[in-house]
Amino acid sequence: MRRRWSGLLLAGLAAAGLLGGCSQPPPSVGYMKDPEALKRGKGLFVGSCGAYCHSASKDRRDAPYLFDCEWLHGGRDEDIFNTISHGVPNTRMVGFAGKMPDGDNDIWKIVAYLHASREDCGQAP
Amino acid sequence: MEFNNLRLLAGVLILTLAACGEQAPSTTPPPAAESAEAGAGEGGGEIGLPALPTHWINTRPIGGGRGPVTDADLDAGTDDPGQWLLYGGNYANYRYSPVASLNPETASRLQVAWAFPTGTLGQFEVSPVVYDGIMYVSSSYNRLFALDARTGELYWRYDRVLPDDLRLCCGPMNRGVGIKGDTVLMATLDAHLMAFNRLSGEILWDVEVADYSQGFSTTSAPFVLKNMAIIGVAGGEYGVRGFFDAYDIETGKRLWRHYTVPGAGEPGSETWEGTSYETGGSPAWTSGAYDPETDTLFWTTGNPSPDWNGDEREGDNLYSNSLLAVDPQTGERKWHFQFTPHDVWDYDGNTQLFLVDIERDGQPVKAVVQANRNGFFYILDRSNGAFLQASPYLEQVNWAAIDDNGRPVVNPSAVPLEDPEFRVCPGNMGGMNGAWTGAFDPRLGLVYIPAIEGCQMFQKGISAYMDGQEYLGGMPLTTDVDNDSDYGHISAINAATGEIRWRFKDHDPMSAGVVATAGGVVISGTQDGHAIALDSATGQLLWKFRVGGGVRSQPIVYELDGDTYVAIGAGNWATIAAFQGGTTSIPEGGNLFVFKVGAGS
Repeated sequence: MRRRWSGLLLAGLAAAGLLGGCSQPPPSVGYMKDPEALKRGKGLFVGSCGAYCHSASKDRRDAPYLFDCEWLHGGRDEDIFNTISHGVPNTRMVGFAGKMPDGDNDIWKIVAYLHASREDCGQAP
Repeated sequence: MEFNNLRLLAGVLILTLAACGEQAPSTTPPPAAESAEAGAGEGGGEIGLPALPTHWINTRPIGGGRGPVTDADLDAGTDDPGQWLLYGGNYANYRYSPVASLNPETASRLQVAWAFPTGTLGQFEVSPVVYDGIMYVSSSYNRLFALDARTGELYWRYDRVLPDDLRLCCGPMNRGVGIKGDTVLMATLDAHLMAFNRLSGEILWDVEVADYSQGFSTTSAPFVLKNMAIIGVAGGEYGVRGFFDAYDIETGKRLWRHYTVPGAGEPGSETWEGTSYETGGSPAWTSGAYDPETDTLFWTTGNPSPDWNGDEREGDNLYSNSLLAVDPQTGERKWHFQFTPHDVWDYDGNTQLFLVDIERDGQPVKAVVQANRNGFFYILDRSNGAFLQASPYLEQVNWAAIDDNGRPVVNPSAVPLEDPEFRVCPGNMGGMNGAWTGAFDPRLGLVYIPAIEGCQMFQKGISAYMDGQEYLGGMPLTTDVDNDSDYGHISAINAATGEIRWRFKDHDPMSAGVVATAGGVVISGTQDGHAIALDSATGQLLWKFRVGGGVRSQPIVYELDGDTYVAIGAGNWATIAAFQGGTTSIPEGGNLFVFKVGAGS
């Protein structure tokens, strides 16, 4: 039993060291500095997400307003990517994974557009 | 180090390195939301509630013994004041009752006879059917109730168990049932057509009209004609290929399908750039009309897909936003008229048709008239589709003028842009909208049209077709809703000239249906939760009653045992109310109210 715990400890230390070394930011961070990527993110949002679902103005819809700091399924870019990709069961939000013309890149560009356009939320909620 | 530890370390390292990849975050679906209904239905809730039934059959003798609904009953329509069989009241869609006892003198004596809850949220858009003393009421989420039309007593009930990933752009509504023989027909949000025994509620058959996961749904009342139930699909916001079908009422077998977008090489395909017709939309989500003199079925279609970006579908995009005249025996098209070619505003051309016999220049004309969602009131010759006239029926129309051939001359400022600044009137919901009805009073020659008076800016985005996902290409900016400058009205329009005789105005857009009586009353409702009665000659408000929920239903009038009844449903969907400028603070929830003309003062 002692040897098993020591192994777990070793593995944990190794993982922590590697994670500390990589800490690669999500693609949305890069896209936020790229005007073309932001334009595509906005175009995709306007073309696929607005209208009857996510309003550009803050009013009452069953789909959440996405330009404030209230996030039902996590406000980190990774969380938003996850929600867009897989949808939210029992809601009108159907997952977009594997469906966007440029795959995950397009989803990350939408995330970048949302992040760049929303209120300043400080640290990700 | 033991082999087991090495294996553990290797596994962790692999997982850790994988997390450093270019798209580092792991992606896992969020957990399913709690569903009280699912918990109860499974019987597996924490407190062990038993599973609720979803179907309650009637075994008692009910009704007045009239027997099966016949072709003659359907042809009579509302000429028989004891019945209301068709969504439009009759095949010409008048929604007009011959009842004289509901008139400007008696309207103020309307009193609640009974009420009934649907137990569902979302728009309650039903036009009830009444036959043999029984009322058939469908609600949002496809609940179907058979009630005693005199007392509201429940006879049978069916609750559709729907998938949780429906493709609904605009709410979970259902507008009513069809009836023929001993069969009641309901279309469902997951795009099925169902048949029930009208007395017991037992299911006779259930057929899939289309695969809902591809963006299809069905929301309208099946249009019953002879042995057929005709139903069209919604899905114009999902890039479906629109169609309407005829089914044999006895068996559920499909008799024909009429695609509203041509296939490759078919006439009309040349009006679509490349292969854009494959995702061309043009849904057929409202009910039709029928002219027995020429044996012609009239059906209408909605917007081309994607809604607000037409760059990749250059051309007129036939047969979107069109009136189609069809041979009901074969489903083949006789002629068409397109209201809004190459639509980039979502001006579905599928508002209610009225088949009216009018006089123009001293000559009788068999006409079809329509207050189109694009803001113009059209008069066409229904024998051949010839354009006769179009005139604005709204106070604000600026997206186009209509030329002598009936073709819009588009205002170049009105087309969607990435950063729009031009306020386009009407907005994408209309004007009039296929989600609600008008009425026609043949005595006065007036059509009564409830409408939204408001404008939007149209923002263009990227058109990205994705299987089963919304395919919009842009979005409307709810300009007038945001600054609360939109409003509504019911207009009385001369069917022969398009002249506006009177308007009844309300602070909210008016999006409830209408029924008119021979006694001279128009019944409708408001989004702030009132049923109203107007003098059909003047528009004067005669009566109002707070029914609670925003009114989105299609009221009916019927007579039983010498009593005159008005049925009207209340209940809106907050999302669509917010979108089109209705009251969002009133809680959702459907309730049917039935009023009776009382004896008192």
